[in-house]
Amino acid sequence: MMRRAPEPYLGLNTEEPNVMHVDLNSCFATVEQQARPSLRGKPLGMANRISPNCCMIALSYEAKRLGAKVGMGVREARVLVPDLIVLETDPPKYHYVYQKLVAIMKSYSPNVKMKSIDEGIIDFHGTREVINPRPLEDIGYEIKRRLKAEVGSWMTCNIGIAPNRFLAKLAAGLHKPDGLDVITHHNLADVYKNLQLTDLPGIARHYQARLNSYGIMTPSDFLQADSFTLHRNVFKSVVGDDWYQRLRGWEVDDGDTKLGTVGRQFVMDTSSNDDAVILPRLHYLCQTTAMKLRHNNVDARGLLVWLHFKNGETWYSRKMFKSTFYTDQEVYRRTLLLYHQRPKLTVTTIGVTCYELTPSARHQTSLLEADTRAELLTQAVDEANSRYGTFTVTYANAIAGKKVVKQKLPFGSTKYFELLCSSG
Amino acid sequence: MENIVIINERVAVAAAFSAREGRLVCYPAKMRWRGRVITFSELGLRHPTVKGKRMVHVFDMTDGEADYRLEFDAERLTWMLASILEGHYDAARA
Repeated sequence: MMRRAPEPYLGLNTEEPNVMHVDLNSCFATVEQQARPSLRGKPLGMANRISPNCCMIALSYEAKRLGAKVGMGVREARVLVPDLIVLETDPPKYHYVYQKLVAIMKSYSPNVKMKSIDEGIIDFHGTREVINPRPLEDIGYEIKRRLKAEVGSWMTCNIGIAPNRFLAKLAAGLHKPDGLDVITHHNLADVYKNLQLTDLPGIARHYQARLNSYGIMTPSDFLQADSFTLHRNVFKSVVGDDWYQRLRGWEVDDGDTKLGTVGRQFVMDTSSNDDAVILPRLHYLCQTTAMKLRHNNVDARGLLVWLHFKNGETWYSRKMFKSTFYTDQEVYRRTLLLYHQRPKLTVTTIGVTCYELTPSARHQTSLLEADTRAELLTQAVDEANSRYGTFTVTYANAIAGKKVVKQKLPFGSTKYFELLCSSG
Repeated sequence: MENIVIINERVAVAAAFSAREGRLVCYPAKMRWRGRVITFSELGLRHPTVKGKRMVHVFDMTDGEADYRLEFDAERLTWMLASILEGHYDAARA
C-alpha cells in the first residue's frame, strides 16, 4: 500500500504509536454468553432491573444487528427484537472478568489505566526497548488470544493502537467486533475521510451542531480547522485547543479526574406520595451514599436532595452545611431536613447527592463527644459488615429499601466496582 | 422473562483437578441431583464471589441441554446447585 507523506503544516504527532486501547465487545452480554453457552448466538440484552421502563445497559451483537441500541428501554427494544432475552446484571461475574483483563494488560506495562469496567489503556512509553521490543500489533493479537484462553473462548475484544488515547480509542472502534487497527500520522487523514463527526469519541449531537455552524461538517474539516477558530469561535475555551491537539495525535487526555460528587438515585418501583413507602428507599440510598463517601475516604459539606414527580415536575433542595459529614446517620438526618420541604406530590424518582468533598478528617479526634461516638459506631458497624457481609448490621427502616433498590452497575467509572461486588 | 429455575439444593459433585496451567485447574465433572447423574460437557465461566468473609466459587456449567450454576463454598466445602437455565427461552414480555 502506498503511504501518504506526512503533511507538516497539519502539525501531526509523528511519534511511533505507543498507546493501546483495549475494549471488551459488548462486555456484560458477552460475559453472560460465555458463562451460559445456551445464550450464544441469541439476541441478549442486559438490564440492571427486569422492568419495562428500565434501560438496556448492554446488548449482544446479535441484538445490535437487529436494531436494538444501548440506552433503549426494555419495552422499546422488545418492539424491535421480539425474541430479545433480557437478563439482570450479575456484578461479581463482570468483576472477575475485569480483574482478568487488568492482569493481562498489566503484564505488558505498569502504566495501565482502566477507563471503565470494559475498557482500558496500556501506555507503552518508556517500556518498548527493555520490556516490549515486539511490534504492538503482535502484543495486541496476543492479548486477544490470552483473553480467550484465560477467560473463555467466546470472549472477544477490540484493540486500537495510536500515538495518543483519543486516536487509540478511535482505532479500537473502526472494526467491531474483534478488530485491531493502528492509526499513525501516515494514515490519520485517510481514517478521518471515512468517518462522520459523531464517530469521533467525545463528539455527540451537541458538539456536532456547534461544529456544523462554523462550516466544519466532517472529521477532515475538523482536522483542517485552525486552533484560533476552534478556541475563539467553536468551543470558546481551551477545549478548542485540546481538540486541536487531540485530533493530531498529541496527548491531552492523560490527567486524573477529580471526584466532585457522590450520590445515588432510584426510579421508584411504585410511584407514591406516602412517606411510609418513600422513606425506607431514601434511607437505603443515604446509607449507600455514605458508604461511597467512606470508600473514597472523603467527607462532604454540601447536600442535594431531588425528586421527580408523576406530573413531570422536578423539585430539589440543596444546602451547604458548616460541618462535614460521612456517617450513615448524618447523611440521612441532613437529607430529611431537606426532604421534608418537598411538595406533597406523587414521587417517581428520588436522588441524593453529596458535594463539596474534602479529604477525610476522620483521623483527627473530635472535641465533641457525640461526634466521637458516631465515628466509633460507624467504624464498628463497618467492621462487622466487612466480616459477615455488607448490610448484616443495618437500619431497620432501610431494610424495605434494600429489598427493592438494586445496586446498579455504572456505565463508566470503575471506582465503586469493589464496593458494589462486596455488597452483594 | 427467562426460564431460570432457582434450585438452591445441596448436590453431590465429582470434581476434576487438572495439572495443566490455565482456566480449567479445578472444575465439576459430574453431579448427582434428585437421582439423576448429569455429566458436564463445558465450563462456561468460573468466578469467585464473597459472602461476608466466606469465599464462594461459582461455576457456570453446561451438559449441552441446559446451563447449571453451581456454587462451591470454600469454607464449608459444600456444593450447591443454585439454578438451572433451560436451553429454550420463552419470549414473554417484561
